[in-house]
Amino acid sequence: MKKYLYDGTPEGLVSAISSILESGDDPQQVFLGVRKDTLFEEGLFLRNDSAKAEALFERLRLRAPDAVHTLWYFMMAETEDIESSLMRYVALAFEHGNQVNGYLTHPDVKAVVGTARKAGRELHRMKGLLRFEQLRDGTWLARMEPDHNVIQPLAHHFSRRLRGQEWFIYDVRRRSAAHWDGGVISFGTVEQFSRPELSEEEKVMQQMWQTFFKTIAIPERKNPRLQKSNMPAKYWTYLIEKQDGQNR
Amino acid sequence: MELQQKITILSGAARYDASCASSGCSNDTPQRGMGNTSQGGICHSWSDDGRCISLLKILLSNDCRYDCAYCVNRSSNPVQRASFTAREVVDLTMEFYRRNYIEGLFLSSAVRESPDHTMEEMVQVAEILRNEERFGGYIHLKIIPGSSSDLVRRAGLAADRISVNIELPSGESLKRLAPQKRKESILAPMKFIGSEIGTSLVERRKSRKAPRFAPAGQSTQMIIGASPETDLQILKLSQGLYSRMNLKRVYYSAFVPVNDDNRLPVLSSPPLLREHRLYQADWLLRFYGFSAEEILSDDAPNLDESFDPKTAWALRHPEFYPVEINRADYATLLRVPGIGVTSAKRIIAARRFAPITPEGMKKIGVVMKRAKYFIICSGRPFEKTGQQPARLRQTLLLGDGSELAAPRQLVLPGMG
Repeated sequence: MKKYLYDGTPEGLVSAISSILESGDDPQQVFLGVRKDTLFEEGLFLRNDSAKAEALFERLRLRAPDAVHTLWYFMMAETEDIESSLMRYVALAFEHGNQVNGYLTHPDVKAVVGTARKAGRELHRMKGLLRFEQLRDGTWLARMEPDHNVIQPLAHHFSRRLRGQEWFIYDVRRRSAAHWDGGVISFGTVEQFSRPELSEEEKVMQQMWQTFFKTIAIPERKNPRLQKSNMPAKYWTYLIEKQDGQNR
Repeated sequence: MELQQKITILSGAARYDASCASSGCSNDTPQRGMGNTSQGGICHSWSDDGRCISLLKILLSNDCRYDCAYCVNRSSNPVQRASFTAREVVDLTMEFYRRNYIEGLFLSSAVRESPDHTMEEMVQVAEILRNEERFGGYIHLKIIPGSSSDLVRRAGLAADRISVNIELPSGESLKRLAPQKRKESILAPMKFIGSEIGTSLVERRKSRKAPRFAPAGQSTQMIIGASPETDLQILKLSQGLYSRMNLKRVYYSAFVPVNDDNRLPVLSSPPLLREHRLYQADWLLRFYGFSAEEILSDDAPNLDESFDPKTAWALRHPEFYPVEINRADYATLLRVPGIGVTSAKRIIAARRFAPITPEGMKKIGVVMKRAKYFIICSGRPFEKTGQQPARLRQTLLLGDGSELAAPRQLVLPGMG
């Protein structure tokens, strides 16, 4: 089996896939993985070529727009070790067009679509679970630790919804941030983070929300298991309603 | 009274309303405004009873002149009374929305002076949100039976969804438990809303600028288990509401005994399983092409506790099975226990490429626990066929030993 390597970036991955598809190799007989730079690593390194990646996206957009969507979500998952599946999935997308996502009995389609779906689910979840807090200076901050790298589409969602306020979204684990100034979104990384002071009004509103959260539940129907399965405990760190008035 | 205390009283009084949906329409954020809605709806939290929170669900007032037997806010109940001002509700909605706690507001109210007076106050809240705050998020307004059609129209123009609670499944029960409410005063606004929604849709097809009337449709709710109606009566009622009044959703709310009243049944706990079975049957009506008369009959007018209504139908109709998954059409696939809308669509999409094998069914993500007894794949059965219905009933009931028995309390579908 022929072995190819790429630099580990999303763009490098797409441009590597483009190179392999052009090479005429049978995608079923090819392996693609991240270069680890170990001494005995075998394989041909494919250079990151952004023009090539861009061109592949464009061609795929015309042939199978749903597959572009899937690819986009797949990248959010930041999974390694299934790059070969992704390459074969792209080949199948060119072959079958937009129907490709229905070919779930194919192991590579299943792996890619399944991964993308999980990322999409978490993105949808975060649209609901993200919590903004008002800071002393009047700007808003939301912290999160999602499994998938969802900050970009999430920021776009809130740029439409909360258009009138200046906010930051901070991905604590990835140390990445999105900033909306009322007109433009910008993305960046954060070297050092210390949580700024909250406004006085913020503390009051958090209390109101905790009160509402407590009383809206019907005591006779208490069901912590169902609550947990809908809202896994890993998201509770930044949920105001799950803090019971303690400082975080 | 402090705001926090009002929230405690007025959200506590609103929690028995089942609806929390924020789905069904998608609005853009208004110019210089705040908030939009999303077609599929968004859940923002899940309360301690496991139900989703997507809206600030609250009463404008719990100070009621009616004395309905089942209601926690009835006038003869010695509970503390409170009322919000319009401004308080508007500010709370906006502040919660800014923090992404909610999709919007679900406002209902007790009737303090007259239906018109209360409805006017509620409509004002929605109009301030839309016009002064330029709020584009979701608004669901409860319609007070007996309020004027002019107010109902204003409510529909300001809100995304409006709903009239049908309260109980029959006019007789209404007379007995809510003597101050009349069936006609509930059905009349429902009909009116239905026709206004229809008119608005026609107008908007002609011009995109035509005003939208309750773009997320109308819903209703009834209490289950406080009165003697059978499940068949309830499902026939829902069926009529869906087909004749074009309702988006009918909600079923298991009766929670909050008052001592000799007109009410004594229950050890709310009938949650019955509520769950009714929701399953409701889904069969709306998405699976079943009719109420197929699901239940005069001989067996109540839903089976042990089986979901589709499995119960399958056990009564062995002649319908096995279903050949590589050939059956969509409607037939939907009749297989365990195969839902998503699975049926996936099966049809996948078999375009190659015939589906038993292994493939698992890859697609079809839950085979129940389905395996009712299907064949390219002529080959999954399980020993020829099981007699009685035997199959046993197998399904006890499982093959690998699964735990289903818990008695199940998911309340809040979305859709």
